[in-house]
Amino acid sequence: MQRRLTRRLVLGLLLTFYAFGCASASEVTQATDDSGLLIRFARAPQRIVSLLPSLTETVCALGQCQRLVGVDRYSNEPQTVKQLPKVGGGLDPNIEAIVALKPDLVLIAGSTRSAERLRNLGLTVMALEPKTHADVQRVIRVLGQVLGVPDADKVWRDMDEAMHAATQSLPPTARGLRVYFEVNQAPYAAGESSFIGETLTRLGVRNIVPAAMGPFPQLNPEYIVRADPDVIMVGDSNGADIRNRPGWSGMRAVRRNHVCVFNAQESDSLVRPGPRMAQGARTLVKCLERMTP
Amino acid sequence: MNAVDASVHKAARSPTLLAVMLVAVALFLLIAGLGIGSGGWSNVVQAANDPVSQLIVWDIRLPRTLGAWAAGALLALAGAVAQGLFRNPLADPFLLGSASGASLGVALALAFFGVSPMATVWIVRLGLTGAAFLGAVGAVLLTLLLARGVQHTLRLLLSGVVVGVVLGAMGSLVLLIVPEVMQAMQAFLLGSTAFVGWTSGLLMLVVWLVCMVLAWLLSPVLDGLALGEATAQSLGLPLAQMRVALVALIALATATAVAQTGLIAFVGLAAPHLVRSIVKVTHGRLVLLSSLAGGALLMAADLLARLLVAPQELPVGVLTAVLGGSYLIWLMQRSGGASGSTMDGRRS
Amino acid sequence: MSPALSARSLSASLGGVQVLHNIDLDFAAGRWTSILGPNGAGKSTLLKALAGVLPHTGSVALLGQPWHSVPHRMRAQQLAWLGQNEACADDLMVQDVVLLGRLPHQAWLAPPNGRDWAAVERALRFTQSWEWRHRPLGQLSGGERQRVLLARALAVEAKVLLMDEPLTNLDPPHQADWLCVVEALLTHGTTVVSVLHEITIALHAHDVVVMRDGRVCHHGATDLAATHQAISAAFDHRIAIHAVGAQWVALPFVQPNGIPHGN
Repeated sequence: MQRRLTRRLVLGLLLTFYAFGCASASEVTQATDDSGLLIRFARAPQRIVSLLPSLTETVCALGQCQRLVGVDRYSNEPQTVKQLPKVGGGLDPNIEAIVALKPDLVLIAGSTRSAERLRNLGLTVMALEPKTHADVQRVIRVLGQVLGVPDADKVWRDMDEAMHAATQSLPPTARGLRVYFEVNQAPYAAGESSFIGETLTRLGVRNIVPAAMGPFPQLNPEYIVRADPDVIMVGDSNGADIRNRPGWSGMRAVRRNHVCVFNAQESDSLVRPGPRMAQGARTLVKCLERMTP
Repeated sequence: MNAVDASVHKAARSPTLLAVMLVAVALFLLIAGLGIGSGGWSNVVQAANDPVSQLIVWDIRLPRTLGAWAAGALLALAGAVAQGLFRNPLADPFLLGSASGASLGVALALAFFGVSPMATVWIVRLGLTGAAFLGAVGAVLLTLLLARGVQHTLRLLLSGVVVGVVLGAMGSLVLLIVPEVMQAMQAFLLGSTAFVGWTSGLLMLVVWLVCMVLAWLLSPVLDGLALGEATAQSLGLPLAQMRVALVALIALATATAVAQTGLIAFVGLAAPHLVRSIVKVTHGRLVLLSSLAGGALLMAADLLARLLVAPQELPVGVLTAVLGGSYLIWLMQRSGGASGSTMDGRRS
Repeated sequence: MSPALSARSLSASLGGVQVLHNIDLDFAAGRWTSILGPNGAGKSTLLKALAGVLPHTGSVALLGQPWHSVPHRMRAQQLAWLGQNEACADDLMVQDVVLLGRLPHQAWLAPPNGRDWAAVERALRFTQSWEWRHRPLGQLSGGERQRVLLARALAVEAKVLLMDEPLTNLDPPHQADWLCVVEALLTHGTTVVSVLHEITIALHAHDVVVMRDGRVCHHGATDLAATHQAISAAFDHRIAIHAVGAQWVALPFVQPNGIPHGN
C-alpha cells in the first residue's frame, strides 16, 4: 500500500513536471492584430519600431521603452524617445531606414501599404490602432501579452484610477456644462463618439455634438452658434481668434471668456488614444475648473 | 543639296540615337539608384558581408528604381497613345477619369477598413493596390458608358472630364464623412515608389511589354487619325474597334501604374513632347521612345526625391512636375525665338 | 460602261438638318466631273457621303459593286478622298505623311515595300514636293502643306479620286500644276470628282454637276449651253461664262449701273 502510494505520487509529480516542461517549451505567444492577421512570436520581440505615437506611448507605459529602436516623426512622448532614430511618418515611412534598424516587430496603424511592403521584406508587422477608450485597454492587453509583460492589466487599472481621480476632482458646478471641442478650423468638431468625446462624457460634461453625427463631423458654424455651448475648447492654436468669427461674439462662452485654447503638447494628450488619457483628463479639468456657470 | 543631305542623315539617325541615349541614361540612373537612400553608398559596400545591407540594396533600392522606370514607361506610353487618339497635345493618361477613379477606390478602401470584420478581410486581401486599380478601370468603363461608345472623340473627352469631376467629388465626400483617411489619401495622391518591391516592379514591366506590343500593333490607326478622322476612315482603317482597343490600352497602362505608385502627374504629358521635340517619327516608334523617355524621367525624379533631403524623401510627383515643367518651359522659350517647332513656326 | 461611282436616293443630315435630298447621280468612268454650286449647297457633304465618311441613307455603288459588299480595304484601295480642312499631322515628316496614303495597300503592320516607296516618290514629284520630303509638315507654308496632302491622296493610286477644295492656299502656278496632275490622272483612266469654288478651273472638267439647296439642278457636259445657264442660274445670274480661246472662263456679272443686284 505504501509503495503504491509512493509510486502514484512520483508519477503525479513527474506528470506535473512534464506538463510544466511542455508549457514552457511551447512558449509561443500569438496575437491577432487589427487587420485580422494571427501573428506568432517564438520569443518576445526585443527590437521594436513604432509608427504610431499612441503605440509608442503604450510600449513605454508597459515599461518596455528600452526595446524601442526607432519611432515615427510624430512620436514625442516620453522624452526619451526623442533621441531615437526617426523613420518617417506613419503613412510615409522610410522603408529602408526601418529595415536598416533590424527590428523584430514593427507597430503600425491600420491597413496601409507600408504594412504589406514590410511584410514582403520579411519583417513582423502588427497593425494596431486604438480609437476608443475600450481600444486603449485592448491594445495594452495585446501588447502586454506580446511583449511578455507580466501584469499589463495593472497599467490599465492605474490609468483607470487616475481617470477616476480626475473625474472626482472636477467641481460639481462644472458638471453638466455643455462643451464644444474644436479639432481644427474647418470647423471639425469632436463628437461624443470620438476619443476626446468619451473623455468628456466620463468627466460628466455634455457635448453639443451627439454621437449620431459621427466622431469628427465638419459642422456648419451656425450649428455651434445655435447650440450656444457653455464652454468652447480649441485644440488647434491656429484657430484661437474665434471672437472674430461672424456671429460668435454674441455666444455665451465668448462673452464670459469661457474659452480654452490648448497648445500642441496638451492637444496630443487629449487626442491620442493612449496611456496619457488621464493626463488629458486632468488638462480638461484644469480648463473646466475656472468655468463658473 | 549637301545641307539637305546632312539634315536627311540627321533625321534618319536620330530616332535610333535617341533610343540608345535614353537606354544609357536609364542604366546610369539604375546604378546611381543603388547608392541613394538612407544609408548611401555604404550599404552597397557592406552588401557583401552584411545581410541587412544586402537586403536594402537588392530588395529595396533595386526593385524600387526599376519600378520607377516601369511606372514612368507605362504612364508615358498611355500619354503618347492618348495624345494620338484624341489628336490633342495636352492629353494625358488621366484624361478618361482614371485618376479620380483610383482616388475614390483608395478612399473607399481606407474608409471601410475596420468597419466590419468582413469588410476588413476583403480590403486586406484586395489591398489598396487592388482598390486603386479597380477604381481606375471602373472610371474608364463609366466614361465609355457615358459616351455610349467610342465613335465620337469629343464626346469621349467630355465624358472623361465629367466622370473625373463627379468621381473626384465623391472622393471628397468620402473624405468629409471619414476625415481620418485624409492624410492617407494625401500620401496616395502625391505618389511614391516606396512600396514597389520585386513583385510589383516585375508586374509593371510585364504589363508594359504587353501594352507596348498592343500599341505597336495599333500604331497605324494612330497615324491615320493624325490626318483627321474622316481621312482615316477613307483609308480603310477599322476605326471603331481599334478605338475601343486603344482606350482599353490607356486604361490598363494607367491603372497598373497608378495602383503601384499612386498619382504621378506630368510624366504622361511631358514625355511624348520631349520625344517629339527631338525627332519626328510615326506612332510606332513614338510610343516606344516616349516610354523610354518617361521611364528615364520618372527614375531621375525618384532619385532626386530620395537624394535631396536624405534620409527623408520628397514626394516624387513634385519633382516630375519640376523636371518635366522646366523642360517644357525651356522648349517654349526656344521656339519663341527660332523657327522649327510645332508651336508657331508656320509661314503662310 | 458602268459608271465608276453612282448614288441612288442619297440623303444626309448634319446636326439634325437635312442637307442632301434624294440625290441620284452617276459619275462616268475615266472622266472628270466638277460639282459646282453656291455656299451651303451641300457639295462637300455630297462628296463625303460618296466617300463613305459621312452617315447617309440611300445607296452608293463603287465600280459597279454595292458599297457594303466591298471589304474596307478594297474600297480604300479603289477610292481616295481628299478632304477640306482636315487635321494636320504637324509632327510627321512629309514622306511619312504621303506614305500614309499607302495604308490601304499595306498588310497590317507590314513595313512599306518598294512599290509603296515608288508610289510615294511619284506622288511627291507630281506635286513638286520631293525636295522637302524630310521636313516636318508643321514647318511648311499653307500651299506647301496642301501639295503634300494632295500627294497623300495621289499615293493611294485609286481608280476614283474625290477632291474637296484641292486648290486651297495654292497660288496660280500651282493651280496650273494641279490641272496637269488631273490631266495625267485622266490619261491613266482615273475617275476624278472635284468640288471647287474656282469656277474657271472647274470648267476645265468634262462634266459639271450643279447643286443648290441639297439637290442636283443639272448634270451635263461642260461645253453645253444648258450647263452654262444652269451654273449661272445657281449663282443667281451674278456670273457670266465666256469662251476665251479654247477655255471657258467665268467672270462676275455686274449690272451696268453698278448698283448691287439685291436678288
